[in-house]
Amino acid sequence: MADNFPGGDSPLDLGNVTKVLRERLGGLKIVALVVVVGLLALNSVYTVQPEEVGVILRLGKYAGTKEPGLNFKIPVVDQLEKVPVRRQLKQEFGFRSENVAVRSSFVGNAEEANMLTGDLNAAVVEWVVQYRVVDPYRYLYRVRNLDGTFRDMSEAVMRKVVGDRTVNEVLTVGRADIEGTVKLELQALCDQYETGIDIDQVVLQSNNPPEPVKPSFNAVNQAEQELERLVNEAEAEYNRVIPRAEGQALQTIQQAEGYALDRVNRAQGDATRFNALYEEFRQAPEVTRKRLFIETMERVLPKVGRKIVVDEDVDGLTPIMSFEGVSTARTSRQVAAQQAGEGTP
Amino acid sequence: MKRIVVVILALGLLLLANLSLFIVREDRQAIITEFGAPVGDAIDTPGLKFKLPWRNAQYFDRRFLEWQGSAEELPTRDKVFIFVDTYARWRISDPLLFFQRLRDERGAQSRLDDILDGETRNAIANHDLIEVIRSSNREAAADESYPDAGGGLEEIVTGRDKIRQDILAAAQTRTDDLGIQVLDVQFRRINYGEQVEPDVFNRMISERQRIADRFRSQGQGQASEILGNMDRDLKRIESEAYRQATEIRGRADAEATEIYASAYNQSVQSRNFYEFLRTMEAFETTIDPNTWLVVSTDSDYFSFLKASGP
Repeated sequence: MADNFPGGDSPLDLGNVTKVLRERLGGLKIVALVVVVGLLALNSVYTVQPEEVGVILRLGKYAGTKEPGLNFKIPVVDQLEKVPVRRQLKQEFGFRSENVAVRSSFVGNAEEANMLTGDLNAAVVEWVVQYRVVDPYRYLYRVRNLDGTFRDMSEAVMRKVVGDRTVNEVLTVGRADIEGTVKLELQALCDQYETGIDIDQVVLQSNNPPEPVKPSFNAVNQAEQELERLVNEAEAEYNRVIPRAEGQALQTIQQAEGYALDRVNRAQGDATRFNALYEEFRQAPEVTRKRLFIETMERVLPKVGRKIVVDEDVDGLTPIMSFEGVSTARTSRQVAAQQAGEGTP
Repeated sequence: MKRIVVVILALGLLLLANLSLFIVREDRQAIITEFGAPVGDAIDTPGLKFKLPWRNAQYFDRRFLEWQGSAEELPTRDKVFIFVDTYARWRISDPLLFFQRLRDERGAQSRLDDILDGETRNAIANHDLIEVIRSSNREAAADESYPDAGGGLEEIVTGRDKIRQDILAAAQTRTDDLGIQVLDVQFRRINYGEQVEPDVFNRMISERQRIADRFRSQGQGQASEILGNMDRDLKRIESEAYRQATEIRGRADAEATEIYASAYNQSVQSRNFYEFLRTMEAFETTIDPNTWLVVSTDSDYFSFLKASGP
């Protein structure tokens, strides 16, 4: 409150000076008072954002939590700290999102991500923990460097859980199980350390084998696909061959059925014909027999190329054979006539 | 002059208040010292506190504090070198004792280094690698696509959690008289040492190759099985078809034979007639233009000719 002395035009009268000073200071006092009160008032009013709560320390002692909105505190005596209890917080392990945008880029963090599995293999595990502050008092006043502590806890728990699983479980089948177990154990550790944190979710990102081993894991995938390919090809071959064979089998059977029908029908036809003829024959055996013989001969003989009739007394055929031309002359009249009727021999 | 006295008095009171009142924050605790020596009990509740003006307040943290182990390459009992990185949580449980024995946090950290690093080294050296890694004897989840892939999970006797608890217990007894309490020790990171890593990777690679080979031979095996089934089915289908067809033909032949027999075999006469008829038919089919017919005059045929001749 050191104000400048009055201007140089003042008379050098001590009493006069003090009087002027007193008047001036009176005015200044009011101004100062207003300023101080104003500052205090400003200092005692604050807003808590919707996702936060305000924690009040009164003379160093916890004195309650304030909900969002306009709030008052005692100036100087009360200290305020805001904690975002309704915001979901997130920590990344084994990698870092470089710039969170539509296309985030990630940078691996080998130190954090490398771990040993229960079958003494190595795996690269990246994960995210989402959590919220549920107890602002504990969050603020129970653990020093809570963020660092939380990271340590998360790493320890993840390694413990991965250490109890095979590399296959870590990389493929056991992911959901790992997430669930880590969440439970990390929550238990959070409670033990009085962090005031509630774990929402543990999410495994890409779990991979270590870089030098990756090609051999890919080779396994390829082999698996080759297995499928071989099986598919064999099945295709099966499906190509068997239905055709089944069709052919049906064809064979149908042909046999056809043969059977043919055979039986013919037999029946033949039998019926025979029976009919036989009936006729029984009534006049000799006549029928002769008639049939002659009819047959009539049909058959014209087809015969050469017809030689030999007398029953002739011993050998040779003499006749040498007289080819004569043979015709010696045949009977009827035979000769028939041969002429035939035209061609 | 009166005014000056009042001002001086007020300033004096303020100074006195400043010297004898102090605030212990929610996250702190304090002890009172008189010329360097602690007096009275520790103050472990927050709020506005009072002391004699010539005494001093020494503040200590009341929260859980960190301790980071030095990441070291240590041999396990089965002579595998691993990097072990531990962390611990501790708190100042008795500020008076703490102040006397350790003075401040730096002192505490270096003492904790000695105790915890030492205990960790002992614990690792006394256990096989698998005991440090696994914490239970849980069964690995079955994976149909990788039957007995990998080495599986070895059984353990002690386990990571127990080793950790043993380190904690040992550390707790050794820090008992230091006014600090170690709350928890955890293995933060355990990794293979640089010299072991290539061997492990090679083992993993050969393991994967084994699995890949299995898949391949499995594929060939399954394909062969399918092709074998195909051959069997093919033979079955073909032979069944042959059997059925032959049976059908046989039955038909039998039926036809029976039909013929029942027609031809009625009596001696019918048998003769059949022979005659059949002979006639045979004539028709066997004789063609290349046939020479040599007929004796006394043959049956000729007798007909004679008989029917003029």
